[in-house]
Formats: sequence, C-alpha cells, structure tokens
Amino acid sequence: MKTMFATLLGAAVLVVGAVHLSAHHSAIAYDRNADVELTGTIREFQYTNPHSWLYVQVVDKTGQTVDWGFEAEGPSTLLRAGIKVSLLKPGEKVTVKGHPLKDGRPAAILVSVTKADGSVLSSDAALRRGPGGKPIDTQ
Amino acid sequence: MHVLLRPIAAGVAIITVCLCVPRTVAAQEYEKWYKLSEQQFLELKQKARGGTKMTWDKLPDWTGVWTHDGGTRFDPKIPNYAPTSAKLTPEYRAKFEKKLADQKQGVEWDHLSYCLPAGFPRWITEPFLREFIVRPEEVWWINEQQSEVRRIYIDGRGHVPEDEAYATWTGDSIGFWDGDTLVVHTINNKEGQYNRGQPDYSDKVSTVERIRKVSADVIEDDITVYDPLSLVEPWHVVNRYVRVKTPNLRINMWSCEENNNVIKTQDGSTQFILKGETGYKDPNALITGPGGTQAPK
Repeated sequence: MKTMFATLLGAAVLVVGAVHLSAHHSAIAYDRNADVELTGTIREFQYTNPHSWLYVQVVDKTGQTVDWGFEAEGPSTLLRAGIKVSLLKPGEKVTVKGHPLKDGRPAAILVSVTKADGSVLSSDAALRRGPGGKPIDTQ
Repeated sequence: MHVLLRPIAAGVAIITVCLCVPRTVAAQEYEKWYKLSEQQFLELKQKARGGTKMTWDKLPDWTGVWTHDGGTRFDPKIPNYAPTSAKLTPEYRAKFEKKLADQKQGVEWDHLSYCLPAGFPRWITEPFLREFIVRPEEVWWINEQQSEVRRIYIDGRGHVPEDEAYATWTGDSIGFWDGDTLVVHTINNKEGQYNRGQPDYSDKVSTVERIRKVSADVIEDDITVYDPLSLVEPWHVVNRYVRVKTPNLRINMWSCEENNNVIKTQDGSTQFILKGETGYKDPNALITGPGGTQAPK
C-alpha cells in the first residue's frame, strides 16, 4: 500500500500530445480536453482486439482502492509503437496518463505509461522515452 | 372497357403510378450511374486492349504488410468532421450536417461497435494492417480488421447475375490488369458511411479503382465513386497504403467480440460497460469462464 499513491489532476493541468485512437467506436464518451495522471500497480493488461485495456489499481483521495481502466489500441498497433505485452506485467508500478470518461467513472483513453525505470510507452511517437527518460529513435 | 370499370381502372393506374414511379425513377437513375461506372471500367479495359494477360512470372510484387496512410479519411486531403469534398445530394448533405451537429452535441454511434464489418467503400479507409495476395486469376486484399478478405476476380468473369445478386459487405469486384495496374469495378454494396465524421453512401454505390505500386513502399488506390442517391457527380479520391516495417509483425486473426464492451445509449450515442459493472463481458471468461445467458429450465 505504501508504494501506491494516486494523483488525479483536473482538466488542462497536463499538456499531452494529441491522441489518435483508431477505434471501432466513437470516442465521444471521453473528454479529450481533460487529463488524468495516476500512479498505481498493474492489475491486468488485456492485450486484445478490438482494443487493449490496461487495468491499474490506484488509491484515491479518500484512501479507497480503485481499478482504473485505460483503453488502448489493439495488439498490432501497440506492437508498431513498441508496446509489447511483456513490457507491462501485473504487479508492476506505473504512472499512466489518459483522457477520462466524461461521466466520471474510472476509465480513460491511454496516452502514455511511465515505467519505474523512467521509460515511457505511448502510441504517440513524440511522447516515447527510453530508460531514464532518454529520447529514443522512433519508427 | 365497361363504364363501371373505368373508375376502378383509373384507381389502379393511380396506385400503380404512386407505387412504381419512385422505384422506376430510382432504378433508372441507378441504371444511369451504374452505366457511368461500368462505362469508365469498360473504357479503361478497352484502352488496355482487354487487359494484360497475367502469368505467375509477370505478377507485380505487392508482398509485405501495409497500412492505410492518412488516418480514416476517405479523401486524405480532408479531415474528418470537416466539410467534405464530395458533392452531395440535398438529402445526403442534410444527413451529413445532422451527423456533425449530433457529434457536437455529444451523440455519435458507429455500427462497427456492434462488431459488424466496415463495408465497402468505407473499407478503403480502415486502419490497421493490410496484405495483398496476388494470383493470375484473383487478387485477395486482406484487411486485419474483422479478418476481412476482399476478393477481386480477374479471370474474365462478369459480375454476379442480376437475379442472384445481393448487397454484401465488400461488394462484388471484378477486374483486369493494365500492365502493373489493377483496375477494379465494384457493385452490390451495403449502405454505410465513409467513416465517422464523414458522409453516408447508399446501397447503390459503385466504384472504379486503379491500384498500383508507385514506389517500393507505397501502393496507391485511385478511386472514383458513383452513387446516384448520395452524389450529384462522381467523387474522385486517391488513397495510399504504406509498407509497415515493424520487425516480426504479422496479421493475426482479429475477433471484434474478443473484448467488446461498447453499448449504444438511449439517445443513440456510445458508452462503455466497465470491468466489474453489470453486463461486462470479461475477455478472460468468454471461453471457459462462468456466466453468460442461462438456458431456460
């Protein structure tokens, strides 16, 4: 529990890259103008079509444990972005950024995942970083 | 005709006119536009002197994994949710404007969320991975999404006979080779939309495509769309597919039902059932797990 904490930031606090989610659904339920940044522990990484979902257990301001779901693209798109299923394992501590649902439920479109070693995984090439947060060559 | 029968005959005539005229006009209009696309296809075939006879050693090399360039735009020059370059009929212009207005009000739905196929010609814009299987008598154009295969027959056959034809998700495609360019005529499509934030098309839509590899890493699809119900003139666009060079990447079976928890709301918009909520379909429990609809006792 000591290793888990959550930070929920309000709208426009973070400046994140424009997110393009190739989806089989409208993104109308998400608030693209709002951002969340949460730190917690990976519960599950559903590496699936039509979308992958990264579930992260966080502790909210009231001390309650909440599972947040972050929706991402399917496996082939994630692979093209260098996001292999083996890189995000249950039990791993991560900081995740995303655009939340408008209705306040704990889910968001995934923007980026920062791992404990400082590397950043993202479909947005401009956000990707290697260990220690160092820039990496993007394809 | 007996004098007493005349009013009945007149009534029958009026009813017949009322029932048949709109259909006849639409059919004539469709015939005219279908002939336009067929005419373009046949003119291209004539210009190619009936088409290039393909053998295994002459086939162009379209091997590799490809993806649509330019997001999900049907006209890559025009962003989604922006004024279209298509010259729409008043009816489809109004539908498109309502779609954009609804989206601004937070209401948007896509039939893909029911895990249905995209349909053609929207299929042209679908994201994810593509593959071309080129044979002398047939070309398969594979789309990762929904594991769809678009079959283009180039063995000289015509379209499906009219009395056997029906609308399908990828249409009825026949073609020929003009050197290294594959020329394709497609009819018998279902109605649909070019994508979210783009106009709709009717089930009378038909297309003529000229597909060719323009460089080592780019395949170009030059498309003219004909649709008497949605367009006032044919719509010409050029779409490109670029080679995907990610190491070890393969096109795998793509099941939309594997993890689809999207629902349509009462107002016709899009929402999600989240993990732990009633109705959530857990991808880990679809095959062997508990739950699901109980059989009546």
